[in-house]
Parts: sequence; C-alpha cells; structure tokens
Amino acid sequence: MNIDKKTQKYDRQLRLWQASGQLALETSKVCLINGTATGCEILKDLILPGIGSFTVVDGERVDGSDAGINFFLDADKIGSSRAQAVTELLQELNEDVKGYHFVEDPVVLIENQPEYFLQFTIVIATELHEKFLLKLAEILWNAKVPLIVVRSIGFIGYFRIVVPEHTVVETHPENVVDLRIDTPFPAIEKYAKNLDFDSLDDTDHAHIPYVIILLKYLDQWKREHDGNLPKTYSEKKEYQSIIARGKRTIDEENFGEALTNAWKACTPNKITREIQEILNDPACENITTKSSSFWIIARAIRDFVTNEGQGLLPLAGSVPDMKSDTTGYITLQTIYRQKAKEDAAAVRARVNDILISIGRTTDFIREEEIDSFCKHAAYIKVIRYRSLQEEYISDPKKSEINRWIQDPQENIIYYVLIRAIDRFYESHQRYPDAATFFNGDNSEEAASEESTTEFKELKTNIQSMLEEWKITNSPEHLDDFIHEMCRAGGSELPNIAALMGGLVSQEAIKLITHQYIPINNTIIFDGVKSTSSTYVL
Amino acid sequence: MAATQMQTDIPTPQDATDTVKKDWPGRWSNMNKFLDRRGPFCDSGFIPGHGEDILLNQCRILVIGAGGLGCEILKNLALSGFKEIEVIDMDTIDVSNLNRQFLFRQSDVGSPKAKVAAEFIMKRVAGVKVSYYYGKIQDKDEDYYLGFHLIICGLDSVEARRWINATLVNMVQDDPERIRVLIDGGTEGFKGQARVIIPTITSCYECSLEMLSKPTSYPICTIANTPRLPEHCIEWASVLQWPKLRENEKMDTDDPIHIQWLYETALARAKEFDITGVTYSLTQGVVKNIIPAIASTNAIVAASCCNEAFKIITNSQPYLNNYMMYTGNEGVYTFTFEHQKKSDCPVCGIQNISVEVKRDITVEDFIDFLKEKPDIQLKKPSLTKASTNEKIYWQSPPFFEQKTRPNLEKKLSSIVEEGDDILITDSSLPISLTVKISYV
Repeated sequence: MNIDKKTQKYDRQLRLWQASGQLALETSKVCLINGTATGCEILKDLILPGIGSFTVVDGERVDGSDAGINFFLDADKIGSSRAQAVTELLQELNEDVKGYHFVEDPVVLIENQPEYFLQFTIVIATELHEKFLLKLAEILWNAKVPLIVVRSIGFIGYFRIVVPEHTVVETHPENVVDLRIDTPFPAIEKYAKNLDFDSLDDTDHAHIPYVIILLKYLDQWKREHDGNLPKTYSEKKEYQSIIARGKRTIDEENFGEALTNAWKACTPNKITREIQEILNDPACENITTKSSSFWIIARAIRDFVTNEGQGLLPLAGSVPDMKSDTTGYITLQTIYRQKAKEDAAAVRARVNDILISIGRTTDFIREEEIDSFCKHAAYIKVIRYRSLQEEYISDPKKSEINRWIQDPQENIIYYVLIRAIDRFYESHQRYPDAATFFNGDNSEEAASEESTTEFKELKTNIQSMLEEWKITNSPEHLDDFIHEMCRAGGSELPNIAALMGGLVSQEAIKLITHQYIPINNTIIFDGVKSTSSTYVL
Repeated sequence: MAATQMQTDIPTPQDATDTVKKDWPGRWSNMNKFLDRRGPFCDSGFIPGHGEDILLNQCRILVIGAGGLGCEILKNLALSGFKEIEVIDMDTIDVSNLNRQFLFRQSDVGSPKAKVAAEFIMKRVAGVKVSYYYGKIQDKDEDYYLGFHLIICGLDSVEARRWINATLVNMVQDDPERIRVLIDGGTEGFKGQARVIIPTITSCYECSLEMLSKPTSYPICTIANTPRLPEHCIEWASVLQWPKLRENEKMDTDDPIHIQWLYETALARAKEFDITGVTYSLTQGVVKNIIPAIASTNAIVAASCCNEAFKIITNSQPYLNNYMMYTGNEGVYTFTFEHQKKSDCPVCGIQNISVEVKRDITVEDFIDFLKEKPDIQLKKPSLTKASTNEKIYWQSPPFFEQKTRPNLEKKLSSIVEEGDDILITDSSLPISLTVKISYV
C-alpha cells in the first residue's frame, strides 16, 4: 500500500478530523475582510491544514506599521495593495490551496454589492465597525453563511460567531460507553444467560469479560427483586458484594473491573435532557423539503426511539477494552456491533421513508452519514446563535452584562470598551490613542490637554453605553481599563494577532467540518492576565 | 545529526540590502504605544521610552525546538522586535511537519529544522539575527545557557524538558544573577499549556511531573496471548515479531518499508483472531507514538509563550503567574493558575523524599518502583547508599554495572537499613535526589 503525499502531509490533523473533515476543509471557500496581521494569522492557520481557497477583500495600501507587524508583508510592499501583497505570501504556505484577492474597500462592497459575500463557506471580518458590520451580518444571516467577527486591540482579543444554527454529529466526546447493562437487548441477554460460570476452568473464569459478569449477576438480582434494578445505596452495595462473592481468587482482574463498573450499571439508561430537546425541536417535528440532512436523520431517530428502540437511542456498538481472552472479547464485540447494525438499518429505513414523503430521492443522504449519526446519537449538538442585530439593537443582554461586569474575574469589561471604541471610531475615523496614565511621583510625566480629552471622550461613550443598558453601578477600576485602551491606540500586537489566529482558525475549522463543538458565541482573551472568558451575547 | 560541529551557525543574509531596509517609518509604531506609554497595570519598574533599547540592543533569547511551536515562536519574537535570537533543534524536516511548521516547504524535507527556520526568519524579517545550532541541548553547558536573558521551550519530549529545567535550576547556585527565566509551551491535539518558570523561585517542570498523563502501554502477556484490539496486533508485530524475524536489523519507524512490514504482520495476526481495525495509519501511530498536532493549537500556545516573554523583558504588563492550561475541543477554555512549588521536588525542593516499600522488595523491583513512581519517573536510576557511598546498583559505566549487577536480586533491606538515605542519579537527567527508606 502506498500512502499518497497529501495523506502524509496532513497525517497529524487527519488523526483529529479524519478524511471526512479534511474533505469538508478542502471544498471550503474562506473570505477574509481586511488583510490585517490578525486576519493573515487566521488565514495562515487555515491554509496550512488545507482549505479549498481563500479570498482577501481589502482596499487599503500597505503602510509602514502593517509591514512591521504582519509576517506576510515586508518593507518592499509598502505602498502596494494590501490584499494583493498578503495573498502572494500567504499562497506560498500550501500549494494545494488557491488564493484570491479583491482590491476593494469592504465597506463599499457591503454597501453596493453585498451578495458578493454569499459565495463563501465562511466569512471572517477583521477591523469592521458597527454600522457596516451589522449590514454584512444581516445579509450572511439570511443566507445562513457563518460569520466570525474578530477584533484585536493591544493585549485584548475578541471574536464572535454569528450563524443562525450549527449542528454537529461528530462532537468527539472523550469516552463513549453504551453497554446497556440495565436494559440488555435479547442477543446479549441470551449470551450472558447461557454462559455457565461454574463449568469454566480457572483460566477461563478469570477471563470472563466484566460486561458478562455484570449482566449475569444483575439478571440474578432482578429475578430476586421483581425485575427491579438495585436502587438504594445499600442495594447497590449488596449487588457489589454478590459480584465479589463470585470471585474464585482474590486477584481476578475481570471481577475487579466488574466491581468498578457495578455502580454505573445500576443507573438506568436514559436519553439525556439535551438530546431529548433536540428530538422535540420544531425543526425535528416539521420536516420539509428545506430540512437539512441533520434534521431528517434526527427525526428518523426520534421515530426509532418511540418504536423499535423502545425508548432508547440506536446502540453505538463500541465495546471498550477489558480483561478477556480473544474469543470472549471478539464474541462480545460482534454481538454489540450486530445490534448496532440492526438499529442503524432500522433508522436508515425510516430516513428513506421520510425522504420519499417529502419528495426527495433516497440518495440525498449517504448511508455513512446515517451510520455515523446513529453511532454518535447520544452526543449530537445543536447550537442556535443570537444574531448581531439582537445583540446590538433589539435585545442586548443587559442584565447579564450588568451581572458579569461586577465580577473582577470576568473579561466582559473589554466588550464594553470595544463597543465604545467602535462608536469613537465612527465619529472620528480613528481610534482613541494617547498616553493618559501617569505615575504621580514622576514629574517628567504629565497629562497633556489632548490626552485628557481623549480619555474623557472614551469615558463618555462608555457611560452612555452603560446607561442604554441600564447599568447604574459603574464597574470597579473602570478608569484603568480606559487608560489601557487609550494606551493601545487601536494597535495590533504580533503575539495577540497570532493567538487570535489560532483561536479563530480552530473555530472556523469546527464550523466548516461540523466536528467538535464551537463556542457560543463570544470570547474575550485578555493578554495582560492571560485569561479568556466566553459569553452568550 | 551534526554531532561533530558544536559551534553555533549564523546564516549569512541573502542579500546586502537587508541591512539597508532594517527599519522604516512606522515599523514599530504598534509596539511603541506600549513601550513609550505607561499603563495602569504595568509594573512600577517600567520606564516609558526604553523598550526599543531593551529589545534591540540588550536582549538575547534562546528558542529550544524549531518544530510546530518553534516556528511560531521565532516569527512572533522577530515581529515583536527581538533582535538576537538563537534556536536549537536536533531534527530534520519531515513531510508530516508541513501542515503546521510554516517556515518549511516540500523542498526543505530532509534539511535541519533549525537552519531552515533561522534562514527563513532572517530573510522575511529585516534586521533580526537568528543563529542556530543543529544538535542536542545536552551538547551545551551552563556558560552557554547563562548567555541568554530568557529561554523559550517548544519541545515535544518530556525528557528534554526535564533536562533543560534541571539544568537551569541547578545553574542558579543561590546567586539570583544566574536565574534565567524559562517559558515552556506544549501541545497535544486541541490541548496545550504555557507556563513561566523562574528557576528556584516558582514551581519548576519537575514539580508538575505528576500532571502528565501516563503513556499508553499494553501488557506483554495480552500482546502475546490474548490480543483484543488492533493495537495489540501492532505491538505484537513491533515488539515480539520484529526482534524474532529481523533480529539483525534495527527498526526505523521513519522508514515506510519497515512500517509496511509491521502493518502486514499485524494485519495477518488480526485476521487470525478476527480483530478488525488494523490500518497503515494506525500502525504508524502506535509504533511512532504519534501525537495529533494542528496549526491552531501551536499558534495559541506559542503566542502565549511569546506574549509572556515580551511582558517579562519589557515590563510593559504583569506576566503570567505561572500556568495557563488550554483546551479547545469543546468551545475554548483556559485555566490560569499558580502551580505550587513542591517542597520535596527532586529538582528544586529543599526537603528529601521519603518512600515506604515492602521489607522483602529486591533492588531490581525497587528500581522499577522508582521508574513507575509518578513524581520521580526516572529512566535509568543508579543507586548509592548515602551514609557509606557504597554502590547499590550503577547503570554505567559498564565496569560498575557488571560489578553491582549481583545486587539486583538481593533484598534492599539487606543493604539499606530503615531510615537510611539512598542517593539516586540518572545519566539522562542532571538530577540527583536523596530518598529516605522506610519498610512496611
């Protein structure tokens, strides 16, 4: 067998998102608004793992400060188009990725030709301020194209994911164990029943898989207790001591494993509240031609649960490693896999019925997609994001912000500052930018009139914002944070740009591949304290 | 490896114009906002207007590792204004590095990482001097490490980290002038950490050894007799079959022909036992102990390390005290905390370690116990009785190994009495620790 170059190159990431995730990446089209240092760092971390293409939309020309902090620029490029210059050097990172640039002011494009942005899989916006940001967000929201809004000011980084709905099947939970000890299906129940422990020699007895041990003694328990599971603490203890009595020697590891897992085995297997909510969701109830494959399969699963599944999800079918001889383990594995296959087949039949009922052909959803859904059914995830319009205008999270802002451990204060800085920018077309904090003991340092004005104006912006949100208690040390933002003067620092590049690219990969769980919905990283906080705003 | 050449190399700039375009108007304007202005959170020792001088003329930084973290660290340092950087790495570039180690291209495969990385940075970022050493950190001595203001580590090996940590701690010798701050970064898939170690002052790498997750290992009897997982079949091929069938050949896990042989051998065994799931990729993963790695996590951890370095050197903000953990598979989660110094840390602790062992334990079993103990984890411990300097067991040199080997079967209690101290050393680590023995 020959491993092709591409598989070799991507080996270390394929181990995280497999060929299916890679295919999604390789067919994605990513748009970056403004070729800032932060924007280019994000693209770098997306080009390396191999997105299909990227497009940089930027009307600026490279200036001396750009060339100083952006690795994908150098002094020779000063004065030339920033979109073109960064695209050239970013392109070098991966020959399998296509790079495009569009020399145009994004603001003009949003104003005159917003449908331009609908061709992309995802849009990442840096340095875009409130007015045009809201406009772009609305266009993308209506077309269900994910948008990530990114800001990097001084030591502070911020980003926000905006998309109506994001669904994930492969969430990659750390431990998937679904053994159905409490509610054994007929095949496993029969196998456990028919295995006569007493007739085994000592070697075989020490190799009975713990699953069988648990099933055997639980069956015995249920027969002696009107079919009930051990419920109370003392009943569970009693169940454990029955298992312990089954040991022939003190060091039978398989019985040790059974004892460790006994408690969990008595806990009734139930569909979690989160999964039940997904199955009860209106999107699951009302399947139409517009329904995505996620919701169609979810509906089929729901119908499975109320019918063949007898209240349970399709079986995942995986068996963890345990003390056993080869035959015993493989037999057990085969029984679980067989049941999982039968469950998946039943779900597939239901999916096909649904597809036909809405006038679609059955090839609309691939079999592997259904099988994967069945395997991960207990861990699927639906995130409904709030729109920027809700956050900014119709329904700001006033009371939550008020609560968070009183806690000095939180980073929410920087959200308020970034929003206020945006307002400052809209009225001045520049960032607040001055040395405003001075060491009282040092006579050489003193506030100038301009710097005092700068500070006061930003503070006024913040106060009016807090008033709008009906926040009456001024946050602790507010002046310090204002000083810090005036000091930053809207600057980008290479380290924070790189850090945001890592975070945003990671979340973009999750959104593109529909694997792993992205944030909901805002992150603020504070590079002064090296902490991050997530908020639903 | 360039073992013969111990000196450091400095790439020659590609063209002479590099020195001309060293600086241009506005180049440092972003950084200077912080270096020229006092902030409300910055250290009281901060003096506005001196940052450029510190970065440009005074500071030498050592970067250990030119891999996933190293490439990012070099870029970040150069863009932040550091002018004198040195990088050490003993590896050459492999095709599987290209998905994240962005200073390397397909045509660089096979070349030393340290050299290619240093040359790339000097070509792209005007005016920075990046020297490199293609070799092992163990080739360098204390004087070498004292020659830097700060050391940033982006390593993938626990052993190398323990070595540099112990070296920097031992180097202090009660003289604060000899303290060199160590910033350590590490990643695994979507997870990682960045930490600041001030040798002898804060907790050190060895203090946190227990936090490491144990590497997966499979019992030999399972591999030989009762395989259940594809991994058991692969271990059978590499641990048992290779030495048996290809005894005169050294297994090279970078050689695709060797991996292919292991894969086929494992696959045949799996078929025999009806085990599914043996693939080429899994075979490679198991025998090379591959850890997943992506550009994003490297960028986050490396940037955090460099951010701390920038803050420490310039005093422009308070720095991390002393550990940031990062997890990105479910949302984005960071945990920033002060990792506590361990008073009985084998490297920086002041208190001796006490261990309780069974009275009938043999010297050999005691050595295994030391290897397994999560807060000690030595590779090749040599033991000496502290009160008499009697050699209990020495792993090297061969003469002493042979001479002390008969002791392995003896009971420890026949050599060391209750309450006695044993001096333990390990040739792979600059650590010596004293352990007080009590029997139960």
